[in-house]
Amino acid sequence: MTEHNHKHHSMRPYLGRLAGIKELGTDIRLFQIELADEAGKEAFADYKPGQFGFVSAFGEGEAPFGITSIPAQSDLLEFAIHRHPHGKTTQGLHNLSVGDPIGVRGPLGNSFPMEDIKGKDIIVLGGGIGGAPLRPVIKTVMENRDDYGTMTILWAARNPGLLIFTDEYDEWRDAPRTELHLTVDNKPPDWDEGDEGLITALLEKVNPGPENAITITCGPPIMIHFVALTLKKLGFTLDQMLVTLEGRMHCGIGKCGRCNLGDIFVCTDGPVFYHSDVAELLESFL
Amino acid sequence: MKFITHNNLLAWLGKLKEERTLIAPQDVGKGHIHYRPVSDMDAITFDYTRPDMSAKEFLFPQTERLMRIEKRGDEVTLHDYFLEEKQVIFGLRPCDAHGFLAFDALFLEQDPPDAYYARRREMTTLVGLSCPEMWENCFCGSVGGGPDDPSHVDVLLTALGDGYAVQVTTPKGEALLASANVQEKPDLALPEIPQNDPIPILPTGEWPALFDNQYWARLGERCLSCKLCTYVCPACRCFDLRDEEVLSGAGLVIHDRMRVWDACTAPNYRTIAGGHNSRAVKGQRIRNRYYCKFYYYPEDFGPLGCVGCGRCIEACPVNIDIAEMLVAVSDMSQGQEVSA
Ligand SMILES: Cc1cc2nc3c(=O)[nH]c(=O)nc-3n(C[C@H](O)[C@H](O)[C@H](O)COP(=O)(O)OP(=O)(O)OC[C@H]3O[C@@H](n4cnc5c(N)ncnc54)[C@H](O)[C@@H]3O)c2cc1C
Ligand code: SF4
Ligand code: SF4
Ligand code: FES
Repeated sequence: MTEHNHKHHSMRPYLGRLAGIKELGTDIRLFQIELADEAGKEAFADYKPGQFGFVSAFGEGEAPFGITSIPAQSDLLEFAIHRHPHGKTTQGLHNLSVGDPIGVRGPLGNSFPMEDIKGKDIIVLGGGIGGAPLRPVIKTVMENRDDYGTMTILWAARNPGLLIFTDEYDEWRDAPRTELHLTVDNKPPDWDEGDEGLITALLEKVNPGPENAITITCGPPIMIHFVALTLKKLGFTLDQMLVTLEGRMHCGIGKCGRCNLGDIFVCTDGPVFYHSDVAELLESFL
Repeated sequence: MKFITHNNLLAWLGKLKEERTLIAPQDVGKGHIHYRPVSDMDAITFDYTRPDMSAKEFLFPQTERLMRIEKRGDEVTLHDYFLEEKQVIFGLRPCDAHGFLAFDALFLEQDPPDAYYARRREMTTLVGLSCPEMWENCFCGSVGGGPDDPSHVDVLLTALGDGYAVQVTTPKGEALLASANVQEKPDLALPEIPQNDPIPILPTGEWPALFDNQYWARLGERCLSCKLCTYVCPACRCFDLRDEEVLSGAGLVIHDRMRVWDACTAPNYRTIAGGHNSRAVKGQRIRNRYYCKFYYYPEDFGPLGCVGCGRCIEACPVNIDIAEMLVAVSDMSQGQEVSA
């Protein structure tokens, strides 16, 4: 068996270069990728908030990550990537330097229905690295500020070092009709930017109204579950809640079987779902 | 009906072997029969039941090199490994051919197609050999196949007297057969192959109602999560990807991106980066395997994910038996209590 051709296909990454790296927190970095060839640029010309890509650290492997940029603001494709203590790909990615080659497949999956939720008050709930795919939602609302109602951002992490995009908080706070509330599980003495406690406690305190509102939650499964319970208490119905589900993934295109929840595939039927649809799934995500 | 004598068949296979990879059932020792590339024509066996492993490895290898990743300095180039040489699988049992229907439905027909599988499929011709009988644990007839089903091969041979009846089902088979010395025998009749008692197959739509039944947890208690059932299965297709170093020298590093078989019965199959595992209990994973075959796969892609070969029954070290399960779910759907 030898090489055959160089045509693009669904398992073959587009080549790119790491154009920039920014420290976002403890073991979390922003990777800014410049795609090298026309096919790649074309594929990623118009990706949507909530979509993801498979990023290759060549020689280590590839793994799925939510795209955290929006095409309107950046020619670079951005991913916020948490280095897993034993993870082969995330370690490999964190070992790269600016200028190194990198690969991307995508854009994959569905997206947040940004058109359908126009005119509504938006409540964004991000837990830890789960905030990554929510940044495109925040950016899209800010870019088209008149199209949406109020935006309430609830941002949580285990500790302040895991709060991502801290250098953008002022911009978020300053945007019209926009609030940002922070909380961490364990508050160090020298940190006073927000609350101590779980995101559910913060949610009860901020107490957003359900009328003409939509919530968008991204974080670990257990957080999605408890946030939904709290939202119900506050009067929200399941069809007012958008969530993203996670699953281990090896292909992102509905082939490898890894991410199924019953008869659906998180990679192609999701990762974005209305909670009302999640509740109908045969198999629980919990 | 076409007919080929045993000697003419051997001559034909010999010719095919010259021009492409010939894969055929062979005794690999201690009575174990496997489909293997043929180097010695005498090694081909014609007297076998169902090979230990299916033939899926020739279209979906257990470890498949997908692409070569070449790093020179800070330049990367990718080279796909696509199958270059044509291959013919001879002596394929109809159930194993049927398994490729499930693969085709996912890897060819469901967008986007898989380029590696598509290439292998295009380069492969299937020459089946009917089973003279249905063996213990075979239930192909209950899942839309049969011991002499010609539907999923290009050519099917059925033993008859001093040779074989020949059914050609595709243009590819027609082309392959051009180099064979076959005779026309107009009054040739195919033998009647006795069938095993059918196993009830619960219709797709009736599976969801049984999802929360305690039966699955009880069944799972016995499972060792050894993954054998998925590896021997001609229709299981889960895969993982990994990069492996091939060569590391001055200024040049080569890795291969590999695709390897995966198994949904493995304990951490559904563990996500944060550590959460929504299928931590063995019964949930066994249930997933069976639901995949009889509900998810047909719902999502069309064909069933089981062709009734019975291999997983024989492979399982703790006697978890798919045929027993099928009887049990049919009983349960009629409201009967069932023990696992
Ligand atoms: C749609 C989607 C979007 C995502 N978005 C982001 C994002 O924006 N940012 C981000 O940082 N992450 C994101 N993730 C998670 C990210 O994909 C994982 O962190 C990544 O796949 C880990 O890859 P790895 O090769 O480094 O780790 P792996 O080598 O795959 O291992 C990861 C961890 O999984 C566990 N694990 C794996 N295999 C086993 C095993 N056999 N036994 C026990 N434990 C095991 C281990 O704890 C290990 O540390 C997303 C995931 C999905 C599905
Ligand atoms: S009997 Fe078992 S091994 Fe054979 S096709 Fe069905 S599930 Fe797969
Ligand atoms: S072969 Fe049996 S024990 Fe092994 S994973 Fe399959 S069902 Fe479980
Ligand atoms: S990630 Fe492979 S099927 Fe979803």
